[in-house]
Amino acid sequence: MSSYTSPIREPLVTGHKTYHQITEDLVSPTEKAPNAAWITGFLISVSLLGFGLFCITWTIWHGIGTWNLNRTIGWGWDITNFVWWIGIGHAGTLISAILLLFRQKWRTGVNRAAEAMTIFAVLCAALFPGIHVGRAWVVFYFFPYPNTRGPIWPNFNSPLLWDLFAISTYFTVSLLFWYTGLVPDFATVRDRAKGFRRKIYNFLSFGWTGSAKHWQRWESISLVLAGIATPLVLSVHTIVSFDFATSVIPGWHTTIFPPYFVAGAIFSGFAMVLTLMIITRKILNLQDYITLAHIESMNKVILTTGTIVGVAYLTELFIAWYSGYVYEQFAFFNRALGPYWWSYFGMMFCNVLSPQIFWWKKYRRNIALTFFISIVINIGMWFERFVIIATTLARDYVPSSWSYYSPTWVEIGIFLGTIGLFFTLYLLFTRVAPVVAIAEVKSILKSSGDQYTGPNAIHHGSHDDHSDAHHGHAHDSSTHADDHSHSDSKGSTYMQVVKDDLKKIEGIGPKIAATLNAAGINSFEDLSNSDTNTLQSILDNAEGNFGGNSPESWVVQAKLAFEGKWDELKDLQDRLDGGKY
Amino acid sequence: MTNFEFSGRQRTLLLSGIVLGLVCMGWTWMNDDPLHSRFWSNFLHNSVFFTGIALMAGFFLSASITAWAGWYVTFKRVWESFGLFLIVGLGLMTVIALGNVFHWHHLYHWTDTSILDASVPEKFDSILAGKAGFLNYKWYLGGTVIFVGLWYFIMTRLRALSIKEDEGNDKDFSSHRKMRVWAAAFLPIAGFTSAAMVWQWIMSVDSHWYSTLFAWYTGASWFVSMIALTIMTIMYLKGRGYFQNVTNEHIHDLGKLLFAFSIFWTYLWFSQYMLIWYANVGEETIYFKERWDNYPVLFLGNLAVNFVLPFLVLMRNDTKRKWGSLGFVAAVVFVGHWLDFFLMLKPGILHTAHEAGGGHVGGFAAPGFLEFGTMIGFLCLFLFFAYTMMSRTRLEPSHDPYLEESLHHHV
Amino acid sequence: MADYKDIVYGLYDDEEDLLKAVKIAGDKHIDIMDVYTPFPVHGLDPLLGLSESRLHIAGFIYGMLGTLTAFLGMTWIFTKDWPIIFGGKPHWAVPSFIPITFELTVLFASIGMVVTFYLVNGLGPGVVNPTIDLRITDDKFCIAFDTAETDKSSAESFLRSTGASEIHAKTI
Repeated sequence: MSSYTSPIREPLVTGHKTYHQITEDLVSPTEKAPNAAWITGFLISVSLLGFGLFCITWTIWHGIGTWNLNRTIGWGWDITNFVWWIGIGHAGTLISAILLLFRQKWRTGVNRAAEAMTIFAVLCAALFPGIHVGRAWVVFYFFPYPNTRGPIWPNFNSPLLWDLFAISTYFTVSLLFWYTGLVPDFATVRDRAKGFRRKIYNFLSFGWTGSAKHWQRWESISLVLAGIATPLVLSVHTIVSFDFATSVIPGWHTTIFPPYFVAGAIFSGFAMVLTLMIITRKILNLQDYITLAHIESMNKVILTTGTIVGVAYLTELFIAWYSGYVYEQFAFFNRALGPYWWSYFGMMFCNVLSPQIFWWKKYRRNIALTFFISIVINIGMWFERFVIIATTLARDYVPSSWSYYSPTWVEIGIFLGTIGLFFTLYLLFTRVAPVVAIAEVKSILKSSGDQYTGPNAIHHGSHDDHSDAHHGHAHDSSTHADDHSHSDSKGSTYMQVVKDDLKKIEGIGPKIAATLNAAGINSFEDLSNSDTNTLQSILDNAEGNFGGNSPESWVVQAKLAFEGKWDELKDLQDRLDGGKY
Repeated sequence: MTNFEFSGRQRTLLLSGIVLGLVCMGWTWMNDDPLHSRFWSNFLHNSVFFTGIALMAGFFLSASITAWAGWYVTFKRVWESFGLFLIVGLGLMTVIALGNVFHWHHLYHWTDTSILDASVPEKFDSILAGKAGFLNYKWYLGGTVIFVGLWYFIMTRLRALSIKEDEGNDKDFSSHRKMRVWAAAFLPIAGFTSAAMVWQWIMSVDSHWYSTLFAWYTGASWFVSMIALTIMTIMYLKGRGYFQNVTNEHIHDLGKLLFAFSIFWTYLWFSQYMLIWYANVGEETIYFKERWDNYPVLFLGNLAVNFVLPFLVLMRNDTKRKWGSLGFVAAVVFVGHWLDFFLMLKPGILHTAHEAGGGHVGGFAAPGFLEFGTMIGFLCLFLFFAYTMMSRTRLEPSHDPYLEESLHHHV
Repeated sequence: MADYKDIVYGLYDDEEDLLKAVKIAGDKHIDIMDVYTPFPVHGLDPLLGLSESRLHIAGFIYGMLGTLTAFLGMTWIFTKDWPIIFGGKPHWAVPSFIPITFELTVLFASIGMVVTFYLVNGLGPGVVNPTIDLRITDDKFCIAFDTAETDKSSAESFLRSTGASEIHAKTI
C-alpha cells in the first residue's frame, strides 16, 4: 500500500478516530441492547418471513398449481425473484474482491455488510428453484452421486444444472471469504466480552491471536480468495444468463446476455448496499466510517453500471432491428409496446434514466435522494427480470397460445417472505458481528483518517507545496511525531503506564501530542491540570503552524479521560468539531 | 531525464519501418486481384487495430481519472500519446469510408446497392435491404468522422489540461477537476459510439451475421493489445534511461492488467462462442463454422496465444515483475490480438470478394509476409506518432495531484 | 498443557514504534518470540524475516484437482457410463463442460485453501489460545519474548529502550 495519500483525496474515516475509538464505535452495537427501531424492524421482518413460510407450505401442500403459471408462461415471479436476489447478491463479493484488487480503500467501510448481504441474498434466491421444481423432496436428484437409479446422472449439458453448481459454489466461497474476514474482528469482540459471551466469541473467533504470521497468511488468503472470487462473481450471473441465452427463444437468445447480466447484477447489488448502508449508518451511528465519500463512490458505480446496462438495452434493441429476424424484432416490439409495456418503461426509467441524476456531485452526496434512487433501482431491476421472463414468454411463436400472467397471493407471499428472511438475517447480523470491518478500517486509518489527510488534517504543513516531491505530508507527520514520542518515553518507569495517548483528545494529533510531551505533558492527568492559556502558549511557541488549533476543550476532555469517563468523553467529542466547541 | 528526446536514430529506424510497410502495401497492390481485396483488407485490418488501441488508451486513461486512480500517473504521458493517435486513425478510417462512397474497394457486401432493389428479385437481398438504414456509406462516413473526431477532441482536451498542470500554478487542482469532467464524459460517449463503429467497421464485413456481444468482445481485444503495447513501450523507454520513477511495482500492475483482461477477453470469447454453438441457429453458427472449417490453426491458436499463454505464464507474481517473461507475453499477445482481428475480418472480406469475382490472391487463408510487413509499417507509424507526442512535453508529469502516490506506489 | 512459557512482552501505542523496535531487534539479533497486532501491519513481515506464504501454491494444486475432477468426471459419465444426446451435440461436448469445470476449480481451491489456512495456523472452532493481553485486538502492538530463549532483563531493557509504553511479564 502506498504510504502517501494525495491531498486531493477525501478522508474515509472522519472524527479524528484513534484505534481504540474505532474498536469502541464498531463493537458497541453488539454489546448494547437493541433500540426500538431495531426491534420494530425485526418484528416486521419476522412476520413477513412467517407469512412467506406459510405460503411455501401452501405451495408444497397444494402444488405449483397455486401459482398462476400456465403452459405458455412457465416462469413467472419465481424465477424473476430468483434472478433478482442473485443479482443483489453480487455486490458483496464484488466490493470485497474487485475493489480489493483495484485497491479502492473506500471498500473497507462497506465490505463486511455487503458480504453478509450477499450471503443472505443468495439464500433467498436459492429458495426459488428449490420450490419451483415442484417435488421439493427429491431436489437432491440434482446432485451427481452414484445411485441406484442406473446410476443415472443429471444432465451436465443443462444450464440449469450449471446454475446449481454456480450458486452453491458462490454461496460457499462467499461464506468462507466473509467468515475468514470476520475472525479477527470476532477476536476483538471476544477480548472485550466477559463470561459466557466471551466463550461464544472465542468459539466464533477460532482462537485468533493476532500473531504476525497469522496476519501474513490472512492477507495472503484474502488476496487469493479475492482473485478467484472475481471471476466467480462474473461466472455466477453469466451462468444465470445462460439459463435464458442458450435457448432459441427470441429476446433470450442473445450473446450480450452474460456481461450485461453481470453489469445489471452489480448495479442492483450496489443499489441494495446503498439502501442498507444508509439505514445502518444512521441507526448504528457509523457516519464516521461510512462517509459521504463512500456514498459518492458507490453512486459513481451506480451511474457507471446503470449506463452500461443502458448500452446493453439499446444494443439489444438495435441488433434486434439489425438482425432482420422477424421473431426477434417482434420480441422487442412486444416488450416496448405489448401488454407489458409498463414493465419495459418502468425498467428503462428506473435503471437507465434515474441514475443519470448522479452526474451532479450535489446529488451524489445527497443522502435522502440517494436512498430514494436506490429503492427506485431495486424496483427497476426487478422489472428488468420480469420483462425478460414473463413478457417474452407471454408472446411465443404460436399466437393461439399467447397468454397474460399476473401472480397469485401465494407467489406474492413467497416474495414478501424472502424479503422478510433477508432483513431478519441482516438485522441479526448487525447484533452479532461488527458491521464494519474493524481491522481493515484500522489499517487504512493512517492513510485515510481525517486527522492525517484532507482539509481537516491536523497541521498539515504547507498543503499546496507539491515541489516538495518525495515527502508526503501524511507520511511526514506520523514519522516525525514518533521521533518525538520516542525521545520522551525513554525515561519510562518499569511496568507502569508512563504516558497516555494524548491523541485520544479530540483536536490533538500526533504532532501536537509530541509538542505537549516535549513540554512535559505526558498523561491525561498532566493535561487536565494545565490551563488553556499555558497550552495555547506551548502551541504558539512550538515549531510548525498550530494556529488553527484551539486547546479550549482539551483540559475538560483530559479530565474526563483521566477519570475514565469514556462515555461522557465520547458524548462531548461528538459535540465538538475538531476539538472546538 | 525529464524530457523524452526523439533521437535521429529512432526516427530513422521507425521511418524505415514505415517505408517497409509502404513497400509491402505497394507490392500487395501490384500483385492483387482487380478489386485489390488483399490491399484494402490489410489496410482496414491495421487501421481498425491501431485506431482501436488509441481509443482504448484514451478510454482507460479516462476511466483511471474518473476512478481517482493514482498509480499510473508517472507514465500517463504514454497513454496520452497513444490516445492522440486517434487523429491519424481518423484519417485512415476516413480513407476507407470514402472508399465506400467512391467504390475504391469492395470490402463490404452492403456497399453494392444494386442488391437492394426489390424489383430485381434474383439479386435482391432482403436482409441487407432491412439493414440499409444503418449499413450505408453515409452512416459509415458520418459515424467515422463525427465519432472518431469527437474522441480525438476529448483526448486533446485531456492532454492540454495535463500539460497545463505541469506549469505548477494550479493550487486548487482546477485543471485536474476539469480533467475529471472530460474523462467522465468520454466514458459513456466512447461506450455508445464505439459499439456503433465496431458494427460498421468490423461486424458488417459479415454483412448478414450479427452478435450483440461483438462490440464488447472487440473492445476487450483492443484493450489487451493496448496494455501489451504500453508494457513494451515502457520497457523500451526504461531501457533507454527514461522513466526512472516507473518501477517494477508499476510494471507488475500492468502485468496484472494484461493477465486479468486476457481472461476477460477469453470470457467474452467463450460467452459468444458457447451461446451460438449451443443454440445452433444456422444464421449464427455459420460465422464460427466458416472459421472452424477454413481457419482451424488460427481459430485454436487464437485461444492458445491469447488465453493459455498469458494465463499460465502470468499466473505467478514473479513473472509479472520479470521483464523477460512479461515482455515476451506482451509481445506474443500483441501479435495474437492482431491475429484475432485478422480472423474477425478476413473470412468475411474474402467471401464478399469471391462473390464479386475477386479474392483469388494470398493473404486470406493466413497472414503472409506482406501482411506482417504492412503491420510493421502501421506499428512504426503508431510509435513514430506517439514518440513525437511524448517528446513535445515533459515525459513525466510534475504537478499531477496523484503524482506522489504514483511515485510511492507499492503493489 | 504441560509446556507453560514465561514471557516478557511490551506494548506499543503505534505501529511505527513497533516497526522501529522490530527493526532494532533484527539488527541486534534479539530473538523475538512473536509479534501481535490488531491489524496487518505493512512492512512487518520482512523485518521479522517471515518467509512468503505458500498458501497460494496449495490453492493452485487444489484448484487443479477440482478442474480434473469435474472435467474427467463429466467426460467419463457422458462418453462411457451414460452417454446421452442433447441438441445434436457430440457426447463429449467440451463447451458445455466448461462452466461446471470452472465452478469446481474455484470451489476446490477455496475450500482447500481455507481449511489449510486454519490448520497451519492452529486455529479453528473451539481452539483456545492463551491471551497475552486483551488490548492486542484493540489498539496495542505487542512484542513478546520467550524467557527461555531471550534473557529476561535484556528483553526488558530492549523494550524500554525502544519506547514500549507498558512492559509486563506473564506465564502462558
